[in-house]
Amino acid sequence: MMGDLKVLRTELGDRPFYDSVSQCNRCGYCESVCPTYVLTGKESYSGRGRNQLVRLMLEGKLEDPKAAEDALSTCLLCGACTAACYARVATVDHVLEARRSLRNGHLPLIAGVLMKLLADRRPLLDRMLKIAYALKRTGLPAWAARMGLLKLAGLDALQNADSHVHELPRRFLSDIRSGRPRPAAPKWFYLTLCGPNYLYPKVGEATLAALEETLGEGEALENACCGLLHFNYGDLNLSRSLARRNIEIYERRRAQTGLEGPVVGDCSSCVAHLKSYPQLFLDDPLWLPRAEAFSKNVKDSVESFSLEEAAALKKRRPQGEKVTYHDSCRARNAMGLARNQRQILKAVLGERFVELPQAEWCCGGAGAYSFVHPELSEEVLKSKISNIASTQAGIVLTSSTSCLVQLAYGLKKYYPSCRVMHFTEFLAQTDA
Amino acid sequence: MKSNVLAELQRIVGARLLTGEADVLTYSYDSALDRARPEAVVLLKNAAETQSVVQALLSHETPYVCRGAGTNLSGGCIPLRGGVVLSTALMNRILQIDTANLTAAVEPGVVNLDLQKAAERHGLFYAPDPASMKACTLGGNVAENSGGPRTVKYGMTTHHVLALEAVMPDAGLQKFSIDDAGPEMMSLLIGAEGTLGVVTKIWVKLTPIPEKIQTILASFSSMEDAIKTVSDIIASGVVPRVLEALDRMSIEAVEAYLHAGYPAGAEAVLLMELDGAPPEVAADAALVEEISRKNRCVLYRVATEAQDRERLWEGRRGVYAAMARVAPNVLVEDGVVPRNRLVEALREIRRASAKWDVRIGLLFHAGDGNLHPNVVYDERDAGQTRRAKGAGFDILKACVAMGGSISGEHGIGVDKRRAMAWLFTPETLNLFRRIKASLDPGHLSNPDKIIPLPEESAAADSEVRDNPGTQNGPGGFVVPRMPLSPAAKALVEEVKRWGRGGAAAPRSMAVFGTGARMPSRWRNEFSGHRLETSAIGAILDLDRENYTVRVEAGIELRKLREILAAQRFYLRLPDLGGTVGGALAAKHWRGIRDCVLGMRLLLSNGDVVEVGGKVMKDVAGYEIQKLVLGSWGGLGLILDVTLRLYAREQKIFLNLPEPLPFTPNRWHLLIKKAFDPLDLWAIPETGPDLTAAGGSGPT
Repeated sequence: MMGDLKVLRTELGDRPFYDSVSQCNRCGYCESVCPTYVLTGKESYSGRGRNQLVRLMLEGKLEDPKAAEDALSTCLLCGACTAACYARVATVDHVLEARRSLRNGHLPLIAGVLMKLLADRRPLLDRMLKIAYALKRTGLPAWAARMGLLKLAGLDALQNADSHVHELPRRFLSDIRSGRPRPAAPKWFYLTLCGPNYLYPKVGEATLAALEETLGEGEALENACCGLLHFNYGDLNLSRSLARRNIEIYERRRAQTGLEGPVVGDCSSCVAHLKSYPQLFLDDPLWLPRAEAFSKNVKDSVESFSLEEAAALKKRRPQGEKVTYHDSCRARNAMGLARNQRQILKAVLGERFVELPQAEWCCGGAGAYSFVHPELSEEVLKSKISNIASTQAGIVLTSSTSCLVQLAYGLKKYYPSCRVMHFTEFLAQTDA
Repeated sequence: MKSNVLAELQRIVGARLLTGEADVLTYSYDSALDRARPEAVVLLKNAAETQSVVQALLSHETPYVCRGAGTNLSGGCIPLRGGVVLSTALMNRILQIDTANLTAAVEPGVVNLDLQKAAERHGLFYAPDPASMKACTLGGNVAENSGGPRTVKYGMTTHHVLALEAVMPDAGLQKFSIDDAGPEMMSLLIGAEGTLGVVTKIWVKLTPIPEKIQTILASFSSMEDAIKTVSDIIASGVVPRVLEALDRMSIEAVEAYLHAGYPAGAEAVLLMELDGAPPEVAADAALVEEISRKNRCVLYRVATEAQDRERLWEGRRGVYAAMARVAPNVLVEDGVVPRNRLVEALREIRRASAKWDVRIGLLFHAGDGNLHPNVVYDERDAGQTRRAKGAGFDILKACVAMGGSISGEHGIGVDKRRAMAWLFTPETLNLFRRIKASLDPGHLSNPDKIIPLPEESAAADSEVRDNPGTQNGPGGFVVPRMPLSPAAKALVEEVKRWGRGGAAAPRSMAVFGTGARMPSRWRNEFSGHRLETSAIGAILDLDRENYTVRVEAGIELRKLREILAAQRFYLRLPDLGGTVGGALAAKHWRGIRDCVLGMRLLLSNGDVVEVGGKVMKDVAGYEIQKLVLGSWGGLGLILDVTLRLYAREQKIFLNLPEPLPFTPNRWHLLIKKAFDPLDLWAIPETGPDLTAAGGSGPT
């Protein structure tokens, strides 16, 4: 091996990749928190198992290097193992790096095209998506799926994607915000991330509204895709170039406005990636300090409002319904953000806020996971939905796009009396 | 492995048969260092299926190892002879929680913490609390006879299991219960590390959560002061819920992860917990504080809020896992010493650390004398690995030399197999071998575990012979074994004469005490050779600091209690009468199994076997000292036993029915074959006419 990352930034400091992998002493404390292990009972589907496989790959002890592929590809990347690990063994990074090495640069056609478009051809992607969305509204893809045409064309993943995404916006967040004047002295920056932009503009609008109301005027950056998709599924160099572009955009605006931060994003998956930009530049003395200066100012929307600020948002929120909270994996496991949201919700809702059993368990969305491993993802989802149902909540809140998509799909299918909303969407909501 | 085994397994379990490279490789390890690759893995779903699977493996003579979460610390889950790993990961249902009878029924794959959580909802808890409770399963706990911090007050897994259902090596599905008449098979299976069968269902005892729990953290500037505090607490009669000691390296590793609130810079910390009714806890707490201050504690902090307590506990449970921050590998030793010899043990550990140049973090279940030195190393460095193992073995030898044992709760597995030959006599090991062979003649159920291979036994024998050095001396060590009393020696000679046909042709023998429980007709009419235990009635050792007493079996129980009470030592037994040996052999009260720590037993071939000792926890080898309870002399003659003592009077008032002899079932006969191949020991026959004999009932 391996892919590209020679050194990992871990809780125990910067460690050579092999050392980081070897740090796992196989205590097994991660097993009972790993959704894929608990569901399948297979050791190779556990954090410990996956770490061991990566280590065996590194040591050249796999007869068939491809043998680990299934175990690695079924990882949700939720990071629950690392959160449970006393040595914080960075299993997600190990799995990703091993996947990169197995992939060896090869990508499924559609994924490759999508990632290229995201990176370099945003206007073109915007136009294509609008056409695709319009097409979806005609019901054509569902019809095609029913006829088995997508499968025939080798596009099963698209078929699953189609059944997952029910409502599509007619205008992107960037369209809605375009043409607004920039304030001279902004109090915050907002990162327009792909999920809120392309799928949930109302989430972005809500976050922006809440930021304006609590912190005053701010500026939505004209940033690029964060590069998480490329980091997880594609080309690290593409991911790096996106990171550099975002850092440059930030630096430019910082120089012009004098504002360092906060730089707020409202998709926890992207935010966690933005916070880990330094990982991409550990062997690049020029970019590492710039990445560090950027990342330390990035804030997730769930940590951007204090208890007092949130309580001051006097909104007419829906009455009577119970509200529960599902932790996005990257918020809780990668960034350790679980408390602030709950304190706010308890203060705002009192008894109406109910804790979700196993709130920290992945919903099975996990980026593109639900499209690639639909069966396993569905099992993970079912356990999530049954926990939601057990609270009898009418609204479940969360903080990343992938969770929004997955839970909307799951609730519609299994528990339609509950709906999912983004945390800030709920906070900034003006009426029922 | 023959492909038709796999085909058959596939027919039984379908897609839950795993044979891919990634699958078999991830079942080739557990939490210890050893590795061996199975040829296939079966994810079990239920008992009936397990039975079919074992049947298939049996008919194809394929070895198998049952595995829960694979958190074993002694290599117990390693498939040394390949074959098939049977995983219980999917048998993870809690079947019942009975809040009226305070019991639960679970499948073996239930994670310990999940049972804790389920019980908690009803105000109950499951007492055994291994540090790995987040991951480890009840099946694994039963296999290892796991303990945990709470063991000091509540005992080990074996003290909380009420019944087991298991697929035995002959593929029969059998339920064993604590209430079974005769030698108690359930106790034998607990701690047998999967070598005698695959457990498919477990009934356990739950305990009401005490009204008040108080957690105390005391720090010290030396480990010696901390340990002195522990001894003083035990002597005060306070029985804490937990009594744990951590050293500086352990504290620092945990604090780096958790910020649990352990004081920085302390050389030693005691984590203590008291529970019970509030006035009782308050009184105990005052005593504990006084003792801690007398022993120069630096910081003394009380946590009563559930959140603070949980944080301290998270820290304690994480010590082993947190060692991964220090180095990639950790060898956790698990020796036990008599409670009053912890300071000596500490010195031995430091000596081993210096001699082998390895870093060792310390963690003690101090209240039980159970030590967990965490030897950290990197397996990628062969020299380091060798030194870590060397240090580990030195520590175990020191424990044995102090009259302790090589495992308090983690089991023997493969890692400590050769150390078994230091601890047990060849005669005892041979008995273990015969038990295994009798129940599992094909050696298929977790083969080559626990019992040293013949060459390992031979090596250990020569090691002991060639290094006769003084106790704890640098070159070798001697195992302190108490000589038999002249009266006991005479009994051994008598048995040898009769049993081996020395005096005449072998004929049946039976053991007689005072006759308090023996059916009188049997007593009167038995025509074989009578062995009277009245001559062996000595108190061999009253250990005032360790709180144990070793007595010969013929001593009368009431007399023993009187002698002990005069010196303020108490047994935890109801008033049973008769001899100690009789009370044990008849299992007059089922709770008597919790009093017995060690036993010396005379077999019909004249072998004297010795199991357990004077330590509070000991999971090395099969638990013979519990198996023979209820055997009515059919397995051997109990020569002497070591019993646990308390500093406060234990009041148990029970009106017990007279114990009845049992009719041996097929398991008893198999066990008897191992203990007494020539069937020389006779036991009283059952039947209404026998038990009703005599004017005043059984005498």
